[in-house]
Amino acid sequence: MQYQSFLSKRYLKRRWAPWAATLAVALGVFSLLSVLAVMEGFKVEMKERIRGSLSHLVVEGIATRQLVGEDSLLDAARTTPGVEAASPFIETLAIYRSAVLDYCILRGVDPSSEAEVSDFDLYLLSEEEIEQLLADPYMMLPEDRAPPDAARVVEVFSLERRRQLLRSRLRGDDVGFVEEAPPQGLVVGIESLRSGRLAIGDTVQLSSYSPVTFEPRIGKFIIVGAFQSGVYEQDQRWAYSDIRALQQVLDLWDEDAQDMGISGIALRLTDYSQAEEVKQRLYLEISRRMDLPASDEGSIPWRSMEINTWESQRDNLLQAVEIEKRIIAAMMLLIVAFAAAMIFLILMLLVIEKSRDLGVLRALGATRGGVIQLVLTQGMILCISGAVLGLIGGWILTENINEAHDAIYRATGMRLFPPDIYYLERIPAVLRWQDMVLVCAPTLIFGFLGSLFPALWAGRRDPIRALHHE
Amino acid sequence: MNDSQQSLPVLSARGLHREFLLANGQPLEVLRGVDLDIHEAEMVAIVGLSGVGKSTLLHCLGLLDTPSSGQIIYRDDEQVFQSPGLSEAQRCALRNRFIGFVFQFFHLLNDLDVLENVMLPAIVGSSKSQWRKTRHDVEAYARSLLESVGLQGREHQAPGTLSGGERQRVAIARALINRPLLLLCDEPTGNLDSHTSNKLHTLLRELHEQLGTSILVVTHDPDLADRADRRLAMIDGRFEAELNPLG
Repeated sequence: MQYQSFLSKRYLKRRWAPWAATLAVALGVFSLLSVLAVMEGFKVEMKERIRGSLSHLVVEGIATRQLVGEDSLLDAARTTPGVEAASPFIETLAIYRSAVLDYCILRGVDPSSEAEVSDFDLYLLSEEEIEQLLADPYMMLPEDRAPPDAARVVEVFSLERRRQLLRSRLRGDDVGFVEEAPPQGLVVGIESLRSGRLAIGDTVQLSSYSPVTFEPRIGKFIIVGAFQSGVYEQDQRWAYSDIRALQQVLDLWDEDAQDMGISGIALRLTDYSQAEEVKQRLYLEISRRMDLPASDEGSIPWRSMEINTWESQRDNLLQAVEIEKRIIAAMMLLIVAFAAAMIFLILMLLVIEKSRDLGVLRALGATRGGVIQLVLTQGMILCISGAVLGLIGGWILTENINEAHDAIYRATGMRLFPPDIYYLERIPAVLRWQDMVLVCAPTLIFGFLGSLFPALWAGRRDPIRALHHE
Repeated sequence: MNDSQQSLPVLSARGLHREFLLANGQPLEVLRGVDLDIHEAEMVAIVGLSGVGKSTLLHCLGLLDTPSSGQIIYRDDEQVFQSPGLSEAQRCALRNRFIGFVFQFFHLLNDLDVLENVMLPAIVGSSKSQWRKTRHDVEAYARSLLESVGLQGREHQAPGTLSGGERQRVAIARALINRPLLLLCDEPTGNLDSHTSNKLHTLLRELHEQLGTSILVVTHDPDLADRADRRLAMIDGRFEAELNPLG
């Protein structure tokens, strides 16, 4: 039996004060772990939602010179191994006037193929869902809603839908539209409806510039539907229309290529982890086709282009969340450092209190290293117990965070995590083993450092002086 | 007695000097060339006024302090150890196995009970696996030592609940647990009343005869000194004279 563990247990068993340090370590680990779990959950949730509205991979032209040769581009993409689906899109900035002047990011998508490359069909709301969401400003869609139906995307932009909406809207008044030729459909984010700026059936005039002619362009649209992606910014600012209609409105006819321009094509991959390889293959294939003579059926008119993953498109945002997580982790580590300082102080007091015992141990044959180990053992028992308690506490909280949040809400009427700010109905929490290591390793290092100085000090004390101390 | 003196001593000190530096930078010579032999099963008392260097000598012999110059030799049946020249580990092992300490202020550990205090040197000197093997024997020996010092039935009492004399008996049992060849006692009765001191002197002498452990005792107490085989008077850091044994 090593006397260090024997004596450490005895010393700690009979005193409560040292356990205050354990409590401090436990609280530090607990808070750090909970914060990291929530931030990680938030990151995962946000990534998932952004990814849903974007596609895995995007082939884009430059803003002032659109890509052309849509059919060949789609063909090139669809024949590249690793690509599951491809769909063209246009993206532009537009301003519109409702009660006030506002702007939106207008995306022209192909209703028949958009659902194959993004989760637009999943985010598209039914009329009943729109009513429910407008009735409750905090409501999010339940997880168990009906499975997405790609046909609804086609249906929402359909002529029939636009006519029907316009018919019910006009109610016999003539405001310059005829039901037979209604304006083009526009699907907007739920937040623009919630804010009262727009309503289903509204007709809006969108103003933008043609990237080809640089002339101002104006188009009339009718709000035919709404979506909720779960990312506040997107739900407030994004609007979808039919790509063909938008091509007309923006006058994307390219004289050189004798074809309509597109901003790019969006792709879904069979395996996103292979994105870099697919990107390389696709780049080579499109470049090859751009080098073919114009007479060749598969040729693509040459334009500058780049291929990006959805992550690199939103790199700044994802980086910001990651950096925020690291900064918070670094700041929260101060709590653990504070706990280690408590271990240091408590051990120093223990060494002073027990200096005579330590002298006796030296006289009875304990080595200097043995005495150092004795104090270190006590420090590490306090630290490890705290870390384990904190880990268990953090795990329990992470597993039951929403129940705890609801209990606080019921008891105090206060929402610590308001859905209108974080835009999440439930608090997402993901406890990763990497985060546990990130929390525990510095805790143990701080605890070790906090114990080391008192231990070395105890080892350096003169046993004769300690024995004369009575 | 004579037989033991013919054999090689368990401890020999030659020309021990110990100097301390005073606050004003002047050296203070506490030990001035001490020569001493302690033979097997011999009880030696060192007497002298306060401040003559008795405790310093005991600390040097007990390897708690290092003499400025001089040599100390420790002999057991198998090995000879010579200081200086010992590593920290050897010094600690000698303090643990070869030497037993009895202090004036008992120095028992209050967080342990009486039995654990007695077993402490054995615990300190054993690795985990050794302790697992020897624990039973050590505990039995500790109980028998407690019985020898008249404390049977008090094994699980806290040291704080014992009288001064009882605590010193526990300290003596603790010093003997590893069966040391040499017991170093620093004023063992200096903190006890005369009646208790007298009982403790008798106990020390009995244990000495029973166990055959060599004892070096530093004392002011003439009664205890009288019970030793040899009495050495220390004056100004050296032995002035060897007084007649047993008065």
